[in-house]
Amino acid sequence: MFLIDLHSITQKKTHESISNRLALVMKSGKYTLAYKTVLGSLRSSKGKLIIIANNCPPLRKSEIEYYAMLAKVGVHHYNGNNVDLGTACGKYFRVSCLSIVDPGWYTLGSNFPSGFCAKMCAV
Amino acid sequence: MVKFLKPNKAVIVLQGRYSGRKAVIVRSFDDGTRDRPYGHCLVAGIKKYPSKVIKKDSAKKTAKKSRVKCFIKVVNYRHLMPTRYTLDVDLKDVVAPDCLQSKDKKVTAAKETKKRFEERFKTGKNRWFFTKLRF
Repeated sequence: MFLIDLHSITQKKTHESISNRLALVMKSGKYTLAYKTVLGSLRSSKGKLIIIANNCPPLRKSEIEYYAMLAKVGVHHYNGNNVDLGTACGKYFRVSCLSIVDPGWYTLGSNFPSGFCAKMCAV
Repeated sequence: MVKFLKPNKAVIVLQGRYSGRKAVIVRSFDDGTRDRPYGHCLVAGIKKYPSKVIKKDSAKKTAKKSRVKCFIKVVNYRHLMPTRYTLDVDLKDVVAPDCLQSKDKKVTAAKETKKRFEERFKTGKNRWFFTKLRF
């Protein structure tokens, strides 16, 4: 019981912080939205972090993950569907996947991008 | 973060006549050229895979079954699926962007790549590359 509560607490906290960080990147950094541009950013090795919504079709999700594995780029599975991810990006449309090219003002003590990915990816 | 569409990368062609065929990147043009303002690469691939060779086959039959037919093509990055495999066969001197201009240059380049692919197949290395993709 105690463990479950702790888990849900940490999940909620990091989920909020992911949304906050995404908002910061939207404001100050460079990003591309949607599948085609995500693959393009991976091919040209410009993407630094990929975020995929949870209702992204599984074949598309595995394709993006495979490209990211080849490019050694982190993938974060957003805890929400494409509607939520679109809202988190501040957009009025659905966003199934997005690629962060330049995180802007988001600075960390630890080295980028592994620190960035580690902080954004809950685990 | 790491560029992976580099020479010697094994890819699968997704569109066109050669869709489903495995190929190896010979030269990549990330920023495109004047004629092709998109990322593309020159690939050399397998048009006809070698058949399965069994122990019972005679030498003549093995030779016949181990034939590989090749193609050389310039493909948009979007029409390729990169894989984690590589094929380090040196094709840079054989396959050049200008060899697609005329038919006979193309034929000689294809013949040379066929020879190199066949000798690689006979060594038994890169077995994944020479097996047909089932779909």
